[in-house]
Amino acid sequence: MAAQEKNSAASAVGSLGKAIGSFFRDFGTAVVKGDAFVKLSLLWMGAGYAKRKQYVKAVLMTILEIAIIAFTVKFAMQYVPKIGSLGTVKMEKVFNMKTMKSEFNNYDNSFTILLFSLFSFVVWLAAAVVWFKNIINAYVLQKMEEEGQHINTFREDLKSLVEEKFHITLLTLPVLGVVIFTLIPILLLIFVAFTNYDQQHMPPTELFSWVGLNNFISLFGGGGLTTTFGYAFVRVLGWTLVWAFFATFTTYIGGILLSLLLNSKKTRWPKMWRTLFIVTIAVPQFVSLLLVRNFFSNGGIVNTICNTIGLTGFLRSIGLVSTSYIPFLSAPGWAHVMIILINIWIGVPYQMLIATGVLMNLPSDQLESARVDGATKFQIFRKITMPYLLFVTGPALITDFVKNINNFNVIYLLTQDVYTTTNQAMANSQAKEVDLLVTWLFRLTQDYYNYKMASAIGIIVFIICAVFTLVAFNRMIKGDKEGTYQ
Amino acid sequence: MMKKSVKKVMLPVMAAAMAVSFGTLVSAEDETISLTVWGAEEDQTLLKELTDNFQAAYPDQTFDIQIGVESESTAKDTVLTDVEAAADVYAFADDQITDLIKAGALLKLDDYAEVLQMAGKTLDDVKDANVEGSIDAATIDGGLYAFPRAADNGYFLYYDASVLSEEDVASWSSLLEAADAAGKKVGMTLASGWYNASFFYGAGFTTALNDDGTTAIDWNGTSADGYTGVDVVKGMLAISGSPAFMAIADGDISNQLASGNLVACVSGTWDAMTAQEVFGDGYAATKLPTFTVGDQEVQQGSVAGYKYIGVNGYSENSGWAVLLADYLSNEEAQQKFFDERESGPSNKNVGASDAIKENIALSALAQQSEYAQAQKVGGKYWDPSQTFGELIAQGTLAADDDAAIQEALDNLVEGVTASVE
Repeated sequence: MAAQEKNSAASAVGSLGKAIGSFFRDFGTAVVKGDAFVKLSLLWMGAGYAKRKQYVKAVLMTILEIAIIAFTVKFAMQYVPKIGSLGTVKMEKVFNMKTMKSEFNNYDNSFTILLFSLFSFVVWLAAAVVWFKNIINAYVLQKMEEEGQHINTFREDLKSLVEEKFHITLLTLPVLGVVIFTLIPILLLIFVAFTNYDQQHMPPTELFSWVGLNNFISLFGGGGLTTTFGYAFVRVLGWTLVWAFFATFTTYIGGILLSLLLNSKKTRWPKMWRTLFIVTIAVPQFVSLLLVRNFFSNGGIVNTICNTIGLTGFLRSIGLVSTSYIPFLSAPGWAHVMIILINIWIGVPYQMLIATGVLMNLPSDQLESARVDGATKFQIFRKITMPYLLFVTGPALITDFVKNINNFNVIYLLTQDVYTTTNQAMANSQAKEVDLLVTWLFRLTQDYYNYKMASAIGIIVFIICAVFTLVAFNRMIKGDKEGTYQ
Repeated sequence: MMKKSVKKVMLPVMAAAMAVSFGTLVSAEDETISLTVWGAEEDQTLLKELTDNFQAAYPDQTFDIQIGVESESTAKDTVLTDVEAAADVYAFADDQITDLIKAGALLKLDDYAEVLQMAGKTLDDVKDANVEGSIDAATIDGGLYAFPRAADNGYFLYYDASVLSEEDVASWSSLLEAADAAGKKVGMTLASGWYNASFFYGAGFTTALNDDGTTAIDWNGTSADGYTGVDVVKGMLAISGSPAFMAIADGDISNQLASGNLVACVSGTWDAMTAQEVFGDGYAATKLPTFTVGDQEVQQGSVAGYKYIGVNGYSENSGWAVLLADYLSNEEAQQKFFDERESGPSNKNVGASDAIKENIALSALAQQSEYAQAQKVGGKYWDPSQTFGELIAQGTLAADDDAAIQEALDNLVEGVTASVE
């Protein structure tokens, strides 16, 4: 299995390398063997097209070239030269009594420099790919002309975009969207982790600068920050993994059991029960979570009831509780268990829906032959139902786990304003025992403007999720497992 | 390099707007001054009225004043998201002032003394007109950074006068005893550095802000009044350990009041309505009680909270913005805020009026203000002090274990004084 994984990873990297290699080989051939116009295309991107009478394309490429040069001179050059220092001119202003206005100097904003430099790099990378590809195309056209083949007119080119090259037309917008809304922000986050962007260095008033790996060193206890930051990180990471494991598997197993119960022929009015469970989905999650939080708060209705029936007193007498209330959501241990229990209530209906769908598609021939062979109900469940369910819902299980690592809603809504840590070392790093890495990260940025550490934590979360997903998916999906169930 | 990235986008819009205005306003010599004001949602009508009056007061100048909704308690979060795009003039609560100044989101009013002359006053007039604490809390490194608008953001004691007498509410021990006898509870938030500092301030301990943004705190030592931090904590534990005491989570006081379990609680003017409903004819309020430190009774201190109107450091029309901010916080404005919104004024003249003395909550606040002080702390103060309060609320610390109390205080001081990153 492990060897297989390595193979697949290696072959993926290998094929990518090959593709890049052949791209540059084509480019080299084009430059060496191309005629004067192909070579001229190195400078004037429209040259090759103009020679082969593709005038519209020639004009378009020329406009694109001018646009990129204008972008570089007018926009990118304001920011990219400053990327090394991230700005040196601090904001200064004087008040002009005559105009009643503040007059500002031409100050640098580290964040804008970082963001727009990054944007420029992405644009340049795209432009470079187009430039290389353009030469290759010009050479292809030259060869087509030499061999006397038909060269497309612009109209024919356009037509091809809705026919054989339709995939390009379809993919353009999504790819642009991914680059602008996903790739650039992620790159930005990665870069911020290597700067000292925090409350002491907040643009536009202050500048921030590169600090290398310092943030990661302090994250793992290398000092520089409060001495307890590394201490808090290990504990928060531990609870994040424990939570993700229990949250995923409790709801998964609960959902399957519930759907089996509802599918059982002995259950009366299954539709009514199913509807009742699905009602929890219909209520927005944050409403139900905030309500539950209030029910279980120190002065909430559940505590009042427990007090009245004497449960609180009983727990006090056996030493489980030291306060005059049961700290359902306000003490470590208690809160951890409660959060997982409440999450079962929130999450099981979703899993029940999925499991119900899968159970309806169980291969009935297998079930029947098992029954004919005299298999017990439990044997059928263990040998047929469960493996089939695992096979079909395996990928969903992995995404659930990753989702739970980042399950902000449940943790934040259940514990914010209710849970106060009594661990002073945690408090000194603004963390709580019930924090996931994401909720900690959220408060670090929201309340303490500690963007550099938040970015560093963000990268760690990303690595954990990526490694887990890759390994798990490879194990689950690889191989001819499907055959086993058919 | 551009000053405001928004401008790039705005250019075409502005060009179009200018083309239109050239057609219609050729005669106008002065340009229109655009200002944005952010204030609480419930103050919007009043702000509209005041800004209209402001425009009328300067008839030679054309203004375009936009009013936006931004709660005073969350102004910092929104302003710091993009200081350059935030409002020119905005209202905020005092706990945000250090972060706002650090981010350059408030301009120093001392640089605008000349502008204030247009309103016929000096900066000293502003300082004299408002209560000392409100000026003190907005003064950093000798410079004033915002105009005080209200002084009602503090806390005091609400109680039910039909159950408790004035002697009962004088000290925590008599208060808790009387409440216990009545089978009721006394509520206070301990898990918040805003509330639990009251015990330490009362005993002469301090917090202060250093130049580098870190917080100075002396609670693990001995105060100027000669009390030790350990003794203060013991006094707090004596209160929190009483069966009649209820430690309430921050922000949950009004719920607990409404549930009817409480006979007294520590809270501020925002709970006046609830307290009035629950206590009915017995509704009363007074200064905080005394508590026992060592073998002496010490008056509990408190944090004096203020609301301010500030001017964004990145405001372009900063001169007019300063004038407007002053206008929204001057004596007439504060009178209006009191008349229409029952907001406790920081202006001495407005505060001296009979109407305010008759307001039970505001007069209790005035009584407590003698023992109140501005809380100057950095961002690192809040989490460690909240946890410290929770340790006391849950009774994790034992009153007879001096070493453990001292260690907890040392941890608190270590967390609060940590460098800001």
